[in-house]
Amino acid sequence: MLSQLRLPFRHLAQNGLGVLTPLRQSSSVDFVPPQTFANPAGTEKWHEKVSVPGGQDSFIFPAFNKRIHPPVLDQHGQLLVRPAYCCHMRTMIKYSQKKLWYIASFVRGLTVEEALKQLTYRHMNAKGAMIVSDIIREAQELAVQEHNVEFKTNLWVAESFTEKAEKVKGMRRHARGRMALLDFEFQNYFVRLEEGAPPKDYYEWRREKRPEELLENYVAEQRKRTIVFQQ
Amino acid sequence: MISLQSSIKLKQIVSGVGSLSGTWHTQRALHVTPLILGWGNEHKPIPRGRFRPNRHWHPENRKARAMKILRPDLPDSDFLRKMQSKEASPAEIRDFYKERGLMRHESDNEIPVYTSCTGMLMEPFEPPEGDGKASLLSKQGAKDSALVVQRKGKTLLATRKLRRFEEDFDPRQFAEASQEIYIQAHEALARHDEDDLHKYATEKAYPEMLYNTENKTIYWKFIKSLEPPKTVQIRANDAFTKNNLFAQVTVRFHSQQILAVYDRFGRLIQGHPTVAKDVLEYVVFEKHAANLYGTWRVHGKIIPDWQDNRTPGRLTRVLRKDEAPMEEEIITDEEATKSNEAESSTTDESDAPIYDRFNRVIAKSK
Repeated sequence: MLSQLRLPFRHLAQNGLGVLTPLRQSSSVDFVPPQTFANPAGTEKWHEKVSVPGGQDSFIFPAFNKRIHPPVLDQHGQLLVRPAYCCHMRTMIKYSQKKLWYIASFVRGLTVEEALKQLTYRHMNAKGAMIVSDIIREAQELAVQEHNVEFKTNLWVAESFTEKAEKVKGMRRHARGRMALLDFEFQNYFVRLEEGAPPKDYYEWRREKRPEELLENYVAEQRKRTIVFQQ
Repeated sequence: MISLQSSIKLKQIVSGVGSLSGTWHTQRALHVTPLILGWGNEHKPIPRGRFRPNRHWHPENRKARAMKILRPDLPDSDFLRKMQSKEASPAEIRDFYKERGLMRHESDNEIPVYTSCTGMLMEPFEPPEGDGKASLLSKQGAKDSALVVQRKGKTLLATRKLRRFEEDFDPRQFAEASQEIYIQAHEALARHDEDDLHKYATEKAYPEMLYNTENKTIYWKFIKSLEPPKTVQIRANDAFTKNNLFAQVTVRFHSQQILAVYDRFGRLIQGHPTVAKDVLEYVVFEKHAANLYGTWRVHGKIIPDWQDNRTPGRLTRVLRKDEAPMEEEIITDEEATKSNEAESSTTDESDAPIYDRFNRVIAKSK
């Protein structure tokens, strides 16, 4: 269930809020300034919707880029080094939702370079693959320039999903004086890139189960059995 | 006579495609699968024969078929994006509006212009060489302080001009009072408090102070003053009209401060939160003396060249193609290959993991 929620740091929730990769022993302990210097609650701008170029609608997803995380200490008493992330989206993409959904799902959990490489191999939904790789490239650039990501290849696709946007209506004529309405559908595509290596199992249900887990599941299934129509 | 089954089929067709009265409706709103497509095991699709023509559509009638569809002008979101992020050329924008027969109108927002500060430093003070390095009691220190006292003529003139508007002005007392303004301005900057920053810094200093501070947490602390603040220069001049006096006072601060800058994710990128640094700077305060409600505010800073002892920040970036590396950093190809060979020879046995600037492992040992 956790894996299906669209929250930042979802995979951190699985490991426990802490450092993803081991820190090198440093001689000086990094000190965290008093909390009064963090932005006072209620003054943040990141829960206000942001207008996105290309359309008239405003969205809350890009506003996550304005969120400032104050420096804190982790459980070892050292400065918590959070992975950088960058939210990017494009609105009013002229494409089918049924096709774009496959591409969005395909790209989840891959490193950025792997995603861009794999998208060039798609002979089906090639137009959508081109659009999505374009958006991921833009997000990569944004991450390096504005969100303090050091290496642009050290990113992975943490979130990738689509939503339906506006529909523009047209009409078509049928035989015998009958008419019908046509929908020209537009989509929104959202992507969040995060710094670091992707988790080994992005989807919990696809994870390779350990022998103990398999045994537990088997035993539980066997014990669930009942004799039918028995009172 | 039509059999029952075929009449049902007719009804299905009728309900699927539309009534015979000739009114148009939304095909997709009906939520009924037409029998032509069929569903399940019982309702098979209509076979080609009596009720469905057994012909392929004629390729000659392609254009006629296309004319049946009224396709509206779809919004060109690519170009709109280009325009809104200001990457479209003026010619392209002009063509866009012309094609659609739209008028571009100038915005009606007229902003009145009000000069509340001068946009420059009047005769910026030149700090004497070696200031702050030698103590006042040494021979060098005494010479330096003497230099500062020498350039007093213009300062006295300016003080007189200023006293016409502000009778109680005393340079010595001002120096002590200005330290409070300096501290307030910097604390407001650390808090990203724009209202207070306007109060304690002029409109010229405001963007200079806020530059590059977005999405960062700044921790700044003023620990103590190593030497009492000293007024070193006063300049006062009229701007635009006569008697519209702006006064600038340069004050020398030698203090101990702490600065730690954290990026958007709370990672340290500059300075350190516990290491105090000695800071020598000449801060220029400005006041619109002719204005009854004018206040002294931070207008600019003069930092001597040799005083730039900041710790280098941890941020790195890739040079653009047109940018040349700094002279000290130019490494010739030979040197680069030599160093690479040297590194590879030592690290073949023990492949140390690669760390990024926040001491995180990005590539493990092989």
